[in-house]
Amino acid sequence: MIEATNLAKRYGAVMAVGGVSFTVKPGIVTGFLGPNGAGKSTTMRMIVGLDKPTAGSVTVNGKKYADHRNPLHQVGALLDAKAVHTSRSAYNHLLALAATHNIPTARVNEVIDMTGLAAVAKKKAGGFSLGMGQRLGIASALLGDPQTLILDEPVNGLDPEGVLWVRNLAKHLAGQGKTVFLSSHLMSEMALTADHLIVIGRGQIIADAPIAQILAGTQQAKVRVRTPEVTKLSQLLGNNGVRVECPENETLEVTGLDSRQIAATALENRVLVYELTPLTTSLEDAYFNLTKDAVEYHSQDFSNDASAPATAKEPQR
Amino acid sequence: MSTTRISAPAHVAGGSLTFMGVLRSEWIKFRSLRSTKLLLLFTFVAMVGVGAFAAWVRGMVVQGIMEFGAAGPPGRELPTTGAPKMTIDQAIAAANQQGLNIYGTPIAGLQLGILVLGALAVLLIASEFGTGMIRSTITAVPKRLPVFFAKAIVLVVVSYILTLVAAFVTFLVSMPILGIYDINMSLDMDGVLRSILLGGVYVAGVALIGLSLGTLLRSAAAGIVVLVALFFLLEIATSLLGLVPGDFWKYVSQYIPSVAGGRMLEIGDKAAFISPLSGGLIFLAWIVVITVPAIVSFKNRDI
Repeated sequence: MIEATNLAKRYGAVMAVGGVSFTVKPGIVTGFLGPNGAGKSTTMRMIVGLDKPTAGSVTVNGKKYADHRNPLHQVGALLDAKAVHTSRSAYNHLLALAATHNIPTARVNEVIDMTGLAAVAKKKAGGFSLGMGQRLGIASALLGDPQTLILDEPVNGLDPEGVLWVRNLAKHLAGQGKTVFLSSHLMSEMALTADHLIVIGRGQIIADAPIAQILAGTQQAKVRVRTPEVTKLSQLLGNNGVRVECPENETLEVTGLDSRQIAATALENRVLVYELTPLTTSLEDAYFNLTKDAVEYHSQDFSNDASAPATAKEPQR
Repeated sequence: MSTTRISAPAHVAGGSLTFMGVLRSEWIKFRSLRSTKLLLLFTFVAMVGVGAFAAWVRGMVVQGIMEFGAAGPPGRELPTTGAPKMTIDQAIAAANQQGLNIYGTPIAGLQLGILVLGALAVLLIASEFGTGMIRSTITAVPKRLPVFFAKAIVLVVVSYILTLVAAFVTFLVSMPILGIYDINMSLDMDGVLRSILLGGVYVAGVALIGLSLGTLLRSAAAGIVVLVALFFLLEIATSLLGLVPGDFWKYVSQYIPSVAGGRMLEIGDKAAFISPLSGGLIFLAWIVVITVPAIVSFKNRDI
C-alpha cells in the first residue's frame, strides 16, 4: 500500500510534481502512465526517499519508507536500470545489497535464476545490454521478497520474452496480495498488465480509475462515411448531440450514431453512400486524448491528420 | 535459459537492516573491484620501494656529513667549514636538523599512500554517484548515514593496516641498508615506533577527507583535484609565504593539513614550529571541518 498526500517536488523553477494525492492498493497491478517528463520517476523516487518532497508526504505500508526497520522487505524498487557500479559483477552487486539486510546468499542465487541472469552473473555489469541491465535491476528489486514492488519503465529494452515475463511477474505478485506499481509511457503495455491506472501529466493526476473505466470513458466510436453528398448528409445527421466532421473530400466522420442508423437515414433520403466503416478509437488515441494538454515536450507535427496529438494546444492556465 | 519461471522464494529473505550488515555490504563492495585490489598492492610495493631508496639516501647523507661536515642552517653551532670528522651520532643529529630524520625512514613512502588512498577514498563514493550505484545503495539503506560511516570505517581500517604493514616492512628492509653506513636503526630508537604506528593514522585521516570531498562534490575528478590541491599544492603555495618577512607567515604554512599532519609524526621541538601534538590537533580539526558538511550534505541532498 502506497499513500501519497499532496506530494510535490520543485526543482528550481520547475514544478516536477504539483501536489498529487493517490493510493496504490495491494492485490492489483497499478499502472502509472504519463508522457515523458510528467513526473512519474520523480514521484517514485520520492516514495523511496531518494528525493525529498518539497511539500506533502508519502508512506509505504503506513510508514515513511526510511522509517521501516527492513526497507528491502517493504519495497523492491527498479528506478533506474543503470543503478549499478559498472566494474562490479552482477553477483557481487546483489551480494552487497543483500548484506545490508542480512539476506542469505541462497536468496541472491535464487533471484539470479529467477531473472535469467545465471549465465552472466559473474560478468561485469558495465558490459550488460539494456535488457540484461533491466533484469539485474528487477533482480535487485526482488531480493528482499518485498510487499510492494515499484518498477519504473520495467519493460524498457527487454525482448518480447522478457516483456511477457515482467507482465506475468507483476500479475503473479499482485495475485499474492502484494502491491505492484509500475510506470510506463506506453498505453498498450499498461492495458495488458494493469488493473488500475493512475495517469499523470505535467505533475498533476489526470485520471485515477480502473483501467476498463478509463478506456470506456475515452473511447468514442466513430463511423467513417463516404458519400458524394457531404453537405446534405451532414445536415441530416448533425443534430441531437451527434458530431459530424469532414476530414477530407466526400468523407464524413460521425460520432454518436452507429453504422445502421446512418445507413437508415441515408436510405430514407436517397443519399448515395459508398463506404460505411466503424472506427474504434485505439488505446493510443485514448491515451492521447487524456494527456494531450499535459504533454511537456511537444514534437513538431509531420502529418496532415488534424486529429494528431502533436498539434495539441498549450494548456490554458 | 528459461526466464518465464516465477517462484516464491524458497529462502524467505529474513533479517532486518543493521549497521553490521551495512558494514559487511561496504566491505563486499570494496573487495569486489579488481582495480582497488591492484591499486593497493601497487601502493604497498611502491611505499616499501620508496622507503628503501630513502634509507639509502639518508645513509649517504649521514656519511657525507661525517666526512665533510654539515652545511647546516646558519646560526647553528655545528661547524660549517673545514669540520673535523663527526661521530655518527652527531652526523645523525645534523641530518635530522636538515629534515632527513632517520627515525622517519619507515614512513618515507607516506606521500604515495596519501595520494593513492586519498584518491581511492574520493572514488569510493564518487564512483557510486557517477555510475548510479548510489541509488541502489540508498534504496537499501534509506537512512543514508550508516552508508557514510560504514565506508569511513572500511577506509580507515584499510588505510591504517596497509600503511602500518608497509611501514614495518620498510623498517625491516631499511635496517640492513642503513647498516651499510653504520647507522643502527631499531624499534628502540626515539621516534621509530612512533612513525610506524602513527603513519597509518595520518593516511587514514587523509582517506576520511577524501571520502568527504567525494561526498560533497559527487565527482571523482573534482574530488581528486581538490584533494591534491589541499595536500600537495597548498604546501608549495604556503612555503612561498614563508619567504615574506615576519614570523606570522612562517606559522601560517604550519596550519595547512599536510604540514600539520606531517608534524604529528615527528618527535622533539623545532625552532619556530608547532609541537607534534598541536600538529595532530590541527589535522584533526581539518578532518572535522571537511567531514561534517559532507555528512550534512549526504543526509539531506537528493540522491
